[in-house]
Amino acid sequence: MNFAAINYSAIIVDGLSFALPLLIIAIGGIYSERSGIVNLALEGLLGFGAFTGALFVASTVSLFAVTSDVPMYLSFVLAALGGAIFAMLHAALCIKFMANQVISGVVINILSVALTGFLTSTINANIFGQASERFMLQTSPRWDIPYLMEIPILGAAFTRVYPFIFIILIVAAFAWYLLYKTRFGLHVRAAGDNPQALDAAGINVARVRFTAVAISGALAGIGGMSFAYSISTNFSPAIYMGFGFLAIAALIFGNWRIVPTFAACLIFGLTRSAAFQLLPVFDAGAAVIDLAMTAPFVVTLLLLAIFGKKNKMPRALGEIYDKSKR
Amino acid sequence: MSHNEQHKEILLELRNVTKHFPGITACDAISLEIEQGEIYAILGENGAGKSTLASMIFGLYQPDEGQIFMRGKKVHIDSPNKAVALDIGMVHQHFKLISNYTVAQNIILGDEPKKRALGVFPYVDIKSAEDRIEQLSKDYGLEVDPRATISKIGVSTQQRVEILKMLYRDAELLIFDEPTAMLTPQEIESLLTVIDNLRSQGKTVIFITHKLDEVMQVCDRCAILAGGKLVDVSHIKDTSPAKMAAKMVGRDIEFSAKRPSKQIEETVLSVQNLRVEDSTGFPRVDDVSFEVRAGEIFAVAGVSGSGQVELADTIAGLVRPKRGKVMLKEQDLAKLNVRKHTESGIAYIPEDRQSVGLILDFALDQNLALRSYYQTPYCKTSLLNQKAFSDHADKLIADFDIRCARGAKTPVRGMSGGNQQKAIVGREIEQDADLLIFVQPTRGLDIGAIMSIRKRILDERDKGKAILLISLELDEVMDLADTIGVMYAGKMLEVAPATDLSMTKVGEYMMGVTAND
Ligand SMILES: Nc1ncnc2c1ncn2[C@@H]1O[C@H](COP(=O)(O)OP(=O)(O)OP(=O)(O)O)[C@@H](O)[C@H]1O
Ligand SMILES: [Mg+2]
Repeated sequence: MNFAAINYSAIIVDGLSFALPLLIIAIGGIYSERSGIVNLALEGLLGFGAFTGALFVASTVSLFAVTSDVPMYLSFVLAALGGAIFAMLHAALCIKFMANQVISGVVINILSVALTGFLTSTINANIFGQASERFMLQTSPRWDIPYLMEIPILGAAFTRVYPFIFIILIVAAFAWYLLYKTRFGLHVRAAGDNPQALDAAGINVARVRFTAVAISGALAGIGGMSFAYSISTNFSPAIYMGFGFLAIAALIFGNWRIVPTFAACLIFGLTRSAAFQLLPVFDAGAAVIDLAMTAPFVVTLLLLAIFGKKNKMPRALGEIYDKSKR
Repeated sequence: MSHNEQHKEILLELRNVTKHFPGITACDAISLEIEQGEIYAILGENGAGKSTLASMIFGLYQPDEGQIFMRGKKVHIDSPNKAVALDIGMVHQHFKLISNYTVAQNIILGDEPKKRALGVFPYVDIKSAEDRIEQLSKDYGLEVDPRATISKIGVSTQQRVEILKMLYRDAELLIFDEPTAMLTPQEIESLLTVIDNLRSQGKTVIFITHKLDEVMQVCDRCAILAGGKLVDVSHIKDTSPAKMAAKMVGRDIEFSAKRPSKQIEETVLSVQNLRVEDSTGFPRVDDVSFEVRAGEIFAVAGVSGSGQVELADTIAGLVRPKRGKVMLKEQDLAKLNVRKHTESGIAYIPEDRQSVGLILDFALDQNLALRSYYQTPYCKTSLLNQKAFSDHADKLIADFDIRCARGAKTPVRGMSGGNQQKAIVGREIEQDADLLIFVQPTRGLDIGAIMSIRKRILDERDKGKAILLISLELDEVMDLADTIGVMYAGKMLEVAPATDLSMTKVGEYMMGVTAND
C-alpha cells in the first residue's frame, strides 16, 4: 500500500462538488417537508430541472461564442424554473386534489424519467436532426481561488472549483435566510407543524404549501443541473442515480434543519470521493468501483440506524389539510 | 334596568341568527345584544348550540339567516380574518398553537412586525414583538415567558398565550369557549382573575361554560340556550345557580348524586408497587399500591399531571409498567394486550376522547361497537351485520340521551363535545365489566348530563362493580367516592375512606402537603 499516492486534494474537491448539489436538493426537500408535504419526488425534480437546463443549452448553443460561460449560468436559471414547474404538479396533486403524498411523489419520479428520456430522444431526432439520447453541455470552467488555495490541505477546497459551488452557496444562504428569518419562512414551518393554527392566524395554508413545494423543485433543479455538469457534462436519463433519495436521507439525518443537513451532505460527499480515491491504493479491480459507489448509501443506512430515533419530523408531515374539518 | 345601564354602548348585536346543519338547527333565530365592557356568559346543555353561535361571531361559520351588527354597523363576518379586523378574538376549545415555536412566534403569527436588514432584506422583528408581549402580559396579569417553546409549557400557560394572541391584535371582544374545562381549580381561579382584569381594562368578554359557580363569580349577564333557541337572558345579580340550571334543562336539577355504598366485597383490582416511566426514564407513577373492591368507588384526586392518567392507562393496558403488578381478581394483567384486557373485564373511559376514545370519521353506531364489533351479533363468519350495529346504537342513544342529528349514522366528528363523551360512557358502561375506569367522565358535560352520568356510575357500583374514578374536579371526587386516594408527583400520598377526609384536607394533599408538614 502506498499512502503517499492518495490524492487528498481530490478527495476534498470531489467531495465538495458532490456534497453541495446534494445540499441544495436536500434544502429543497426541507422546504417541502417543513411545509407538511412529503417529497419523495426530489429525484424526479432534479432530473427534470437538469433536462430543462440542458435543453436550453442545446438549443441556444449557436447564439453564443464557443468560449462563453453565459449559457452555463443561464442553464441554472432554466433548471430552477423547470424544477419549479414540474414540482407544481406534485403540489397540485397533494394540495388541490388531496392525493396521497407518497404515491404522488413516486408517480412524479416515474413520470420524470419517462418524460425526459422520451423528450430528449424525440427533440434530438426531430429538431437537432441527430439520433441521441443525451444533450451535450460544454465543459464547465473550474476556478482556482487566489491566496485561499495556498492554505495547506484545506486549500484543496479552493482549487479547481466548479462555479456552481458558488451559485449553490449563495442560493443556500438565501434559502436559510428565507426559511428562518422572514414571514414566509415562519409560515412554511408553521404549516408543517399545525396547519389549523396557521389557518386560524389568517394565512392561506394551501398557498404557503404550494409555494414551498415549488421552491423545492427549483432548488432540486439547480442541484440536478450541477450534477449534469460535474458527473457527465451532458444530460441523459443516466442522471437518475438515486441522489434525490440520498438527499432525503441527508435531510432526515439533518433533522429537517438546514445547517445539520449541510453536515450530513459533507459526510456523504467526502465518503464518496474518499471511496473513489482509496480504491487504487488498495489495488481494487473495476468491479469494486460499483461497490464503492454505494459507500454514501451504506453510510446513510448506518447513520440512520444509529441516530434515527432522535429525529423529530414535522408534526403535520403528510397530513392532508382539510379546512372543513374541525 | 337602571337609567345608567341603558346608556351603555352596544358592542355586538345578533338579530335572528340561524344556523342549520344536516338534520339539525344548531342556532334558531337567536337575537341578543352585548354591551361594551361586560362579561356575558352563554350557558346551555351539550349540543345547545353555544360553540356554533360563537363560531358564527368569529367567522368560522356563516349564519344561514339573520344579521350581525358590530358597534351598530351591519357586518358580514365571512372569515376569522374579518373577525380579527373587527377586533373580535376567540380562544378555541382546542388550542391552535405551533408546538415547536416560541410563545412570541405563536402570538405574532399572521401579523408579524417587519424590519429591514441593511435597508433591503426584510426580516421578522422578533425582538420588538417580545417586548410588546412582555408589556401586555404585565398589563393584564398574564404571566408568560415570550421565549419559551410551546411544547415545553403547560396547558394553562398555553391558554394565556391564546389570550395574548387576541390582545396583541387589539381585540375588543374576546370569546372564550369552555376555557376552564381543562384547568385545575387553582388555574381556574387565576383565569377568572385575568378575565376580571380584561373587563377593568374596558374589554368585552363572551364566556361559554358549564360551570355555574364561575358564571356567578365573574359574569355580568348570562344567556341560556336550549335546543338552539335563546330561552333566557338575565342579570347575574337577579339569578341563582338553581334557577339557571332549571332553565337550561327545563326541569329542576339536584346538585348532588351522593349515596353511600351498600356493601363492599372482595378485591377486584389490586395494584402493587407500580412504577411507570416516560420515555426519558422519569417516573410518572412511583411505587403506587392500592386496592379497589367490588361495590366500591375508589376516586383518585390530584392536580393534573400528578400521574393519574398514566396510572389509568397502565391498568387499561395502553402503557406497560416498568415495575410492579396489576392484578384483576386472580389474573396478572401485565402479560395481556389491550383486547385481552377488555375481555378480562375492564371498561375504560379515557381522558382524551378524540384521539383514544373515538374514531371521529366513523359513524356513531360503529363507534359504539368499537369494543365488540368482532363478536356476535355484529360479526358472523367474518361479515359485519349492519342492522346489529344500528339497533345497538339506537338503544344506547335512548339510554344515555346521546343527541345526534342523524341518529345511528351521524359521523361522530359533527357531534358536540359533550355528546361525544356520552357516547363513550354509554359504550363502556354497557360492557358489563367487573372494573370500570373513568378518567374525567364528566369533562365538558352540562350539569344535567353530569348528574345523569354520576348516577350511572353509582348504579354500576350498586350492581357490585369495582370503580376507579380519576377526576380533577374535587367536588366530583367528594360527591362519588367511597375511598379517596390522593396523588402528588406520581406518588399516592394518602388513601382513606371518604368519610374521614374533608374537602380542604384532600385539597392540601393535592398540593403535596403531608400530615407531618
Ligand atoms: N360541523 C358540524 N356539522 C354537523 N353538525 C354540527 C356541526 N357543528 C355542530 N353541529 C351540531 O350542532 C349542534 C350544536 O353543536 P355545538 O357544538 O354548538 O354545541 P355546544 O352547545 O357547544 O355543546 P357542548 O357543550 O357539548 O360543546 C349539535 O347537535 C352538533 O351535533
Ligand atoms: Mg361546544
